[in-house]
Amino acid sequence: MKELSLRDGRRKVLNWSAITVLCVLSFLAITPLFFIFSYLAVRGAGGLSLAFFTELPKPVGEIGGGMANAIGGSLILLSIASSFGIPIGLACGVALSELKVGVTVRALRLSVDLLTSVPSIVIGLFAYAVVVVPMRGYSAWAGGFALSIVMIPIVARSTEEILRLVPSHVYEAGLALGLPRWKVLLRLIIPGVRAGVTTGILLASARVSGETAPLLFTAFSNSFGFRGLNQPIASLPVQIFTYATSHDDTWRQLAWTGALVLVFVVFLLNLVTRFLIRRRE
Amino acid sequence: MSRRVWSRLFFRNRVENSGDQVFVLSLKIVAWATVSLFAGMLVYLVYLARGAIEALGFNFLTTNDWNPPMEIFGAAPFLVGTLASSFIAIFIAAPVSIGTALFLKEVAPKRVARVVGFLVELLAAIPSVVYGLWGVLVLAPVMRDHVQPFLASWFGPGTYFAQALGHVLTGLFYPFLLIADVLGLTEVTLGTLSEKMMALAQGLFDGPPLGLGLLSAGVVLSIMITPTVTAMSREVLAIVPDSVREGALGLGATRWEMIRIALLRSSRAGLVGAVILGLGRAIGETMAVTMVIGNRNEIPKSLFEPAQTMASVIANEYNEADGLHLSSLAAVGLSLFLVSLLVNLAARGFIRWIERGTRA
Amino acid sequence: MTDSEISLRTEGLSAWFGDHHVVKSISLSVSRNDVYALIGPSGCGKSTFIRCLNRLHEEIDGARVQGDVWISGDSGSENIYAPGSDPVAIRRQVGMVFQKPNPFPGLSIFDNVVAGLRLAGVKRRSVLEEVVETSLKHAALWTEVKDKLKKPGTSLSGGQQQRLCIARALAVRPKILLMDEPTSALDPISTARIEELVMRLRSEVTVLIVTHNMQQAARISNQTAFFLMGELVESGPTSRIFTKPKDTRTEQYITGRFG
Repeated sequence: MKELSLRDGRRKVLNWSAITVLCVLSFLAITPLFFIFSYLAVRGAGGLSLAFFTELPKPVGEIGGGMANAIGGSLILLSIASSFGIPIGLACGVALSELKVGVTVRALRLSVDLLTSVPSIVIGLFAYAVVVVPMRGYSAWAGGFALSIVMIPIVARSTEEILRLVPSHVYEAGLALGLPRWKVLLRLIIPGVRAGVTTGILLASARVSGETAPLLFTAFSNSFGFRGLNQPIASLPVQIFTYATSHDDTWRQLAWTGALVLVFVVFLLNLVTRFLIRRRE
Repeated sequence: MSRRVWSRLFFRNRVENSGDQVFVLSLKIVAWATVSLFAGMLVYLVYLARGAIEALGFNFLTTNDWNPPMEIFGAAPFLVGTLASSFIAIFIAAPVSIGTALFLKEVAPKRVARVVGFLVELLAAIPSVVYGLWGVLVLAPVMRDHVQPFLASWFGPGTYFAQALGHVLTGLFYPFLLIADVLGLTEVTLGTLSEKMMALAQGLFDGPPLGLGLLSAGVVLSIMITPTVTAMSREVLAIVPDSVREGALGLGATRWEMIRIALLRSSRAGLVGAVILGLGRAIGETMAVTMVIGNRNEIPKSLFEPAQTMASVIANEYNEADGLHLSSLAAVGLSLFLVSLLVNLAARGFIRWIERGTRA
Repeated sequence: MTDSEISLRTEGLSAWFGDHHVVKSISLSVSRNDVYALIGPSGCGKSTFIRCLNRLHEEIDGARVQGDVWISGDSGSENIYAPGSDPVAIRRQVGMVFQKPNPFPGLSIFDNVVAGLRLAGVKRRSVLEEVVETSLKHAALWTEVKDKLKKPGTSLSGGQQQRLCIARALAVRPKILLMDEPTSALDPISTARIEELVMRLRSEVTVLIVTHNMQQAARISNQTAFFLMGELVESGPTSRIFTKPKDTRTEQYITGRFG
């Protein structure tokens, strides 16, 4: 009996030390978040001003200037990406969940799955080859195209998952009312899960707003402001990249502030998404 | 009839309604457009890279020299840079992520788990370029001034650690050497192997602390892939049915014993899959690495040295490249594409394996 | 019984899941304004049988149907399995209520009730409002929900949801209403309300109701059919089936000796 209790004591100690280790590990996992946040807040907030949002950047060495062109450019790129990526992604999601399993669905599932794993820089390479080269130059179109490829699998997957959650007897209820399948799906089922579908769209937008690599040699950059969709266009992430790797203090300040704004927007999108998910539950 | 079976049949062979026919047809058109987008990407990369493939063949991946002005293109430095930075990331992120997943799923009270889980997910939402910014301006100086000198004094050349590591590596590779020797594939003897491993171990934490380099890139990557690995591990742990936990606890196991005996054993393959998925993310990650790794086209001998990955060399050089240089960069892109696909397929395989295992 | 009184008639109706023959050559006549109960142990094919009556069975992969089902409409009797017959049009005449309440998620009570009509092209607000009121009144739900028609259908209780589903089915004015164990997921009070409702619906539609609850069949139906292993063992007036069954298997079942 004595031996047993001794062993039990050792087991307890082992148990508690293991649990402590797990606690420490999870603490380690989230500490970088605080570090990054505090630096963004401290360094970034200093540069927040009206000028940051309204002015164009100034040449190296000059004080002041803002990132109006980059912010506007990002919005334009996001709109182009969304107008291609969202409808195609939605249609793919519907196809994945609703079409009879056959060659089409198998090929599509494989493509969508693998598209998510393609490094975004490779998507940039592809967009360069199919848009930039034929158009003979960097353009907003090329950037938007590259970003839309990033969006498609995200939207498709979330749409598919949401539709799969709808029980079959709900579809049957629609069919039993004497409605064709496509009407049941488009007019009764999808409106019912619109919150879930929106979630996927927001997630994809958040992801795309921060993408840099696919834009490097598609949208490229410019420091003059908007010059048309056929021209190179600045974007917040690419601009942050350029400024962060420069050695100019004014530019580095802009990079911090730009990063703060970018992270704020991305987090906002993520929070709205979470809110939608929770409300659905 | 379960939704599983039913959904596949929503649109059957015989579609009577003309509206349904049009609908199915348009879905199929979009589906095939997306498939061809993906296939086109692969085909186009091969097309772009054909110059380099024709000129260099397989040597492309093994040649250790990348010199655009001299028209010499060997991608070995990038292959090594990618593998090294990704493995550093995994080395740090795997224990942290699996530990976090276990904490969130098995130990933490619900409310704590929700908050911590949320914070880890936020980490995934931070754009790559912001990690890069932080890495360049905050992490790199800290690494240079504090972490690297510390590592050098404890693990650097001449330390017991380096000595021991050299022996361990020699031991690890000795069996391979024996096999290669029997097959007559190598001239290396035990003595030279030991020398090489010693040099590797001694050099690991050697050199001036620069801040920007392989180690810093690995650290940034590890932070970036932690949410991926954690989320995947949580999913894997969630597959393990509660009866397994209750069974172990019911036998009088402590919580840790339950985790070790019941959980980890039954979810091993899935956790490996989660880690491989993280590896896949690390391999393809571009911006943060480009900003932090130092961008030098040579195989690094020390973790402190600057290096270059497959993704970062494309980001750095593509805009100025033409001719064989451009084609070689496309070939690097193609290799990156294929490696990512393979790694992701492997991860999926592991995860599917455990899903099937627990269901049966 | 003259032909014009017959609302629905099956002739040699068989159904399969893959190779599994679940409904075996059933011939059955249902008169106008009957409440026809289908009883039998679980797995006896009674649910599959009524799913053949609005061609819903064939929506499942590997499912197959053989035989004829005649329903009498305005222009005489029509075989719903005749070549070229449109299942969509059939289902407008044969409504269905399912085992679990299944309002369309995210749609309001109002939108749930008018879903069938609106998507069939009825747009006039006044018409829709009138249909909502009459359907909900028929389904005995009007007084409970008339002030919150904009609320989502899923916000109601289980019993209310099921009555909402009945209202939704009634809104397209079917001639026949199929009910597949409509109370099996409900509590006793909700069950009682639905049973009352079914008895009142007799004047409006012909009801076929699948139930595993023999007391329920005895309470609300005037005709009963007993299914066993995909076959129709016996059918006839409910009172007779429950008091003087002809077949010993029926007797065994209703006295609780198997199933």
